[in-house]
Amino acid sequence: MIVLLSLALLAMLGLAAYLWVTTTRWQESSADWEDEARSLGADVASLQSELDGANAELDSARTQLGTAQDRIADLANEKAQLGDENEASQQYLDYQSRVSDAAGTVAAALTQCTTAQSELIGYLDDPDAYDQEDLDRFAEQVDDLCQAATDANDQLQLELAE
Amino acid sequence: MSGPRTAHRTRAALALVVTATLGAGCGILPELPPDLPDSVVPSVPPAQDPAGADTLSPDGSDAVERMAVRIRNVGCDGLSTGSGFAIDARTLITNKHVVDSSRSLQLLSYDGRDIPVDTASTAELADLAVVRTSEDLPSYPDLATSDPVRGDPVTVVGYPEGGRLTITAGSVIGTTTDPLHENLGEVLLTDAPVEPGSSGSAALDDDGRVIGVVYAKTSTDKSLLVPVSTLQDMLADEAMFVPLTEC
Repeated sequence: MIVLLSLALLAMLGLAAYLWVTTTRWQESSADWEDEARSLGADVASLQSELDGANAELDSARTQLGTAQDRIADLANEKAQLGDENEASQQYLDYQSRVSDAAGTVAAALTQCTTAQSELIGYLDDPDAYDQEDLDRFAEQVDDLCQAATDANDQLQLELAE
Repeated sequence: MSGPRTAHRTRAALALVVTATLGAGCGILPELPPDLPDSVVPSVPPAQDPAGADTLSPDGSDAVERMAVRIRNVGCDGLSTGSGFAIDARTLITNKHVVDSSRSLQLLSYDGRDIPVDTASTAELADLAVVRTSEDLPSYPDLATSDPVRGDPVTVVGYPEGGRLTITAGSVIGTTTDPLHENLGEVLLTDAPVEPGSSGSAALDDDGRVIGVVYAKTSTDKSLLVPVSTLQDMLADEAMFVPLTEC
């Protein structure tokens, strides 16, 4: 009987020791987990702060990108309009040049026509002094010069009508 | 005789109780805590590209904008502008009437870059033209495999009035015979707003695929489109296009 009671007592003491060790280890473990949780909580707070900052930068970058894209579209449009104006100006200059050339041709042809006509009038003042065939040939040449002036004037009128 | 037997029974019963108590006690005793793991942070999956990143260019422009091309037709009787869009790296589609009577064609990309023209040809049976470039175009869409039907959404990308690159939206109203008699077969009618200068614009579906080419607007402000089926038919037969003759 005493032996059995002694064994029971030893068993109880062993059980108490085990419970004490277990409790102590659980307390240590709990403290470690709390430290880990606080560390992770600090990380979360830090990352949240960084995320807020990154989101703010992203919003700012998006706004800047939108502005830059608008500016690119504006600049592309401005370049297109300037190109249109440049081409239109070039076409107008070409037109002016053609008109000027045509007007110059008309003026030169008219000068030749009137000069020749004056010369012919001078010859006709004294027709007996010249051979009639020569006078007729010269008169035809004067007609050709004046026809050339008329043709040049027609061309000028065509250019002006554009 | 009963004394020793009773004591023996009592000891046996006590031993049984102690054994049972210890056995039961071990079953409900708490275990020792496990060691703290090295890390409780789960592995992070690889970062994914943001939604829509595949349709953006390095400058952030949308693929829909990047495929649009502004066309300046320096003709013998004046100047006109129109729109076009790329269908591959060096080919763009526009209208025949945009490139007709031309002395030179000048192309401008969405970001204002000049793109030199190589050749141009026009279709005989539709208001379509193909322009080949000698430099790569920024982006090009896919062609839809079938024509849209009534009610389908449509997005038009082009340069109305020769101005800024503009995107307008609407929906398909239906099909009609070409009131201008420039296209064989039926054409599409939509309520997407267009203006002079929009001619040659791409009309896209919600997936960004070409469903037609804008070529005119009606007196009731509806837009007329050459359907993508006509475009596909024309592109399938090169004989449908003849080289553009300068004025």
